[in-house]
Amino acid sequence: MTHKKADLSVQFCGVHFENPFCLSSSPVGNHAEMCARAFDAGWGGIAYKTLNVDSSFKIVMPSPRLNAYHYNDKRFVGLQNAEQITDRSLADNLKDIAELKRKYPGRVLISSIMGFTSDDWTLLAKKSEEVGADMLELNFSCPQMARKDAGHRVGQDYDLVERFTAVVKKASRLPVLAKMTPNITDMIPVALAAKRGGADAISAINTIRAITDIDLETLTPMPIIFGKSGITGFSGPAAKPIGMRFVSELYSSDELSLPVAAIGGVETWRDALHYILLGAGTVQVTTAIMRHGYRIVEDMIEGLSDFMLERGISSLEEIRGAAAKKLIDPSNFDVRHQVVSQIDEKKCIGCGQCYISCQDGANQAIVFDAEKRKAKVDETRCVGCTLCRHVCPVWDCVTTRTVDTQTTSHAAIF
Amino acid sequence: MKKSIEPTAICEFSAMRRPMTLQEAICEAERCLLCEDAPCSKGCPAGTDPGRFIRQIKFRNFKGAARTIRNNNILGSTCAHVCPTDKTCARACSAKGLTTPIDIAGLQRFAIAYGRENGLKPLEAPSVDGQAVAVIGAGPAGLACAAELARQGHKVTVFEKDPVPGGVPRWNIPDFRLPVEEVAADCAQLADLGVEIRCGFTVDTPEKVNEIMDKFTAVVVATGLNEAFALPLFDGAPNVFDYIAWLRRAKTDRERFASDVAGKRVAIIGGGSVAMDAAVTARALGAARVTLVSLEHLGELPADLEEIELGHLMDVVFRDGAMITGVEKYEGGHIVALTGTEIEWIEPGKFVPANARPVLHTQFSLATDFVVLAIGTRPVFAHLFSALPTWDKKCFAPAGEDRPWSAAGKLFAVGDVVNRGTMAVQAVGEGKKTAQAVHAFIAGGAK
Repeated sequence: MTHKKADLSVQFCGVHFENPFCLSSSPVGNHAEMCARAFDAGWGGIAYKTLNVDSSFKIVMPSPRLNAYHYNDKRFVGLQNAEQITDRSLADNLKDIAELKRKYPGRVLISSIMGFTSDDWTLLAKKSEEVGADMLELNFSCPQMARKDAGHRVGQDYDLVERFTAVVKKASRLPVLAKMTPNITDMIPVALAAKRGGADAISAINTIRAITDIDLETLTPMPIIFGKSGITGFSGPAAKPIGMRFVSELYSSDELSLPVAAIGGVETWRDALHYILLGAGTVQVTTAIMRHGYRIVEDMIEGLSDFMLERGISSLEEIRGAAAKKLIDPSNFDVRHQVVSQIDEKKCIGCGQCYISCQDGANQAIVFDAEKRKAKVDETRCVGCTLCRHVCPVWDCVTTRTVDTQTTSHAAIF
Repeated sequence: MKKSIEPTAICEFSAMRRPMTLQEAICEAERCLLCEDAPCSKGCPAGTDPGRFIRQIKFRNFKGAARTIRNNNILGSTCAHVCPTDKTCARACSAKGLTTPIDIAGLQRFAIAYGRENGLKPLEAPSVDGQAVAVIGAGPAGLACAAELARQGHKVTVFEKDPVPGGVPRWNIPDFRLPVEEVAADCAQLADLGVEIRCGFTVDTPEKVNEIMDKFTAVVVATGLNEAFALPLFDGAPNVFDYIAWLRRAKTDRERFASDVAGKRVAIIGGGSVAMDAAVTARALGAARVTLVSLEHLGELPADLEEIELGHLMDVVFRDGAMITGVEKYEGGHIVALTGTEIEWIEPGKFVPANARPVLHTQFSLATDFVVLAIGTRPVFAHLFSALPTWDKKCFAPAGEDRPWSAAGKLFAVGDVVNRGTMAVQAVGEGKKTAQAVHAFIAGGAK
């Protein structure tokens, strides 16, 4: 029996996606056989592994090139990589794109490209259009390029971004996404430069330059690439909060006013929905696929569909940006109203973590009854920071109660 | 995280639990909630402080964890192997409120092994400026007391009747539950502290007692319970063992013992920890059928849960809620079968023989080649220390509720010989407390 499904389709820069879930440009979209399996699994679009003019610059990947960021027993909270753009020949890649478009005409194929000269950009744009790519994504953001004058260094140079975007727009009629680096204080000026060059949309974020670990035997950062390491791109769930910040800023910029393809730490439909609520049109995924495979899209589709049906949402457009609109400047927060924590005595398992955290990390507002092994909030001291709620191992044990400081006294106002 | 126990390890008398790997230890420590006023630490009779050593593991301070255990519990490895943690540290574990209690014993074994493998420095003997103290008996209580006294700067001599120290853990607990190397490693720490252990020295005459009383400023009796109870019904039968002899032979003469027992039928009488150990040992030795006859019904058995599970794992047949009423003998008094009947309790909840009454028409007969009595023990040498008060003419009376030792002048007693037999970890705790009392006695002028 098939159950009712919501309409997950989106129009993005005039291109129809049957769902907003896409592969981001990375090893998960290395060649036609992989991409075919991804389409078969249900992905709405694929940003193919970044093309390169191999006659212009030969790419050789370093190895080992991955290191995962583990948090105690939690594996793979993030992933650091020293991966390069494609190391396959342009001809092979173009053949693969052509084949994919023949086999999957209804799915979106985004050709990610990176040139080192204007001629490279022109060639890559033209060839991609010729073989049937639906969109172009300009990689201005790879943080570990084997060439010093490429990747994120271009992405930090407004003039180059504008110039190369303009070159591509001149060479091709395809919609153009400019992919941004997060390794910058403010992304808006770069995105505006891309817009001036004619970009139709912004993709964000590429990976964050990072160091994930240091081997304490050899005192060398990881991954250790024959005795040395480097500051390279970090992705995965731990990167999502940073991605969400950039996406919301891009969406909220009236001056920019371009669609956003969100990237950064998406694993579930909830993650994807978060980005959509912050203004994203599509959502691109790599790290979660590297970890769990293409199959995760099934749960994204089913989960988001159920959410929409439960809420009576007929199109993602209805809710796109809804959360971004609730973001205000911290200087404008309502401080007349405050909260105090409340601990559900029945759910409290008596570990006292909230007590320890409140003692040493907050306002000493929790009383711990060592006899009964129960924690209680001293409302006269609680400043409503909610640290207790976040450290409590029982997810729904600590709640809050709102206090109007004009009618009730509160520890935060004195 | 707890790994299932492999019967093959038990049959080989090798450690039935694989040590936790680093990964397992990190994952298990991660589950710990690092409680305020940790109930696990409060629940350890020996004050081993699991709340602290688990936190140390969680924050990757593995050597620190090993140090904590060793400083607090000289028999840290022994306890980590035999503690019934569901009755002690893990009983009130807050993690139970989420899923299952933390495998505290597993983490303790991990930390000790880590310390050993990573060059944790041995304990150092403190400079001795205290008095000469004698401890009689190198079991858990005696060793813990000796270690604590040595730490206070006293010169301690331990007298032990057996050829190596360790007491019940060394001689009565099967190797698959507690490998002898673990007890030996714990005992070796006593030498590091400068304690002299004189093995093969039995204090069994008034003359020896007097000599020790003359030579030492204080004397601690920790002789334990070392004679198993017998039942007149079985007197004179050559194929009847008490559990001490049964378990000890498995330690000292295993190969020949196994060839005697292999393929035979064994009946164990009793329902406590030692009965389970005797039964599982019989199966491990190759006995074809081991039947455990206990007055208590399955849910009432005094043995620890894990010991009972081990019995099930090793296919011990439980003839629970039953009593033996007679024996059938061949020539030479050799027992060939037991006869018995099921019982019910006259007064519910009182699990003593006098409260048991046979149930009509439940008589049974049980063919057997060996009978092992595991129905309790008593002290042998207690009468030699007549200055100490006794409370049932067998064991010494403790000095008070929080004072688990017995005392009369310079003479102290501790451990099973006072508490009538509990857990090793309890003996360690009481040994430590007694050492403090002895120290206070000496500091007060030793009068």
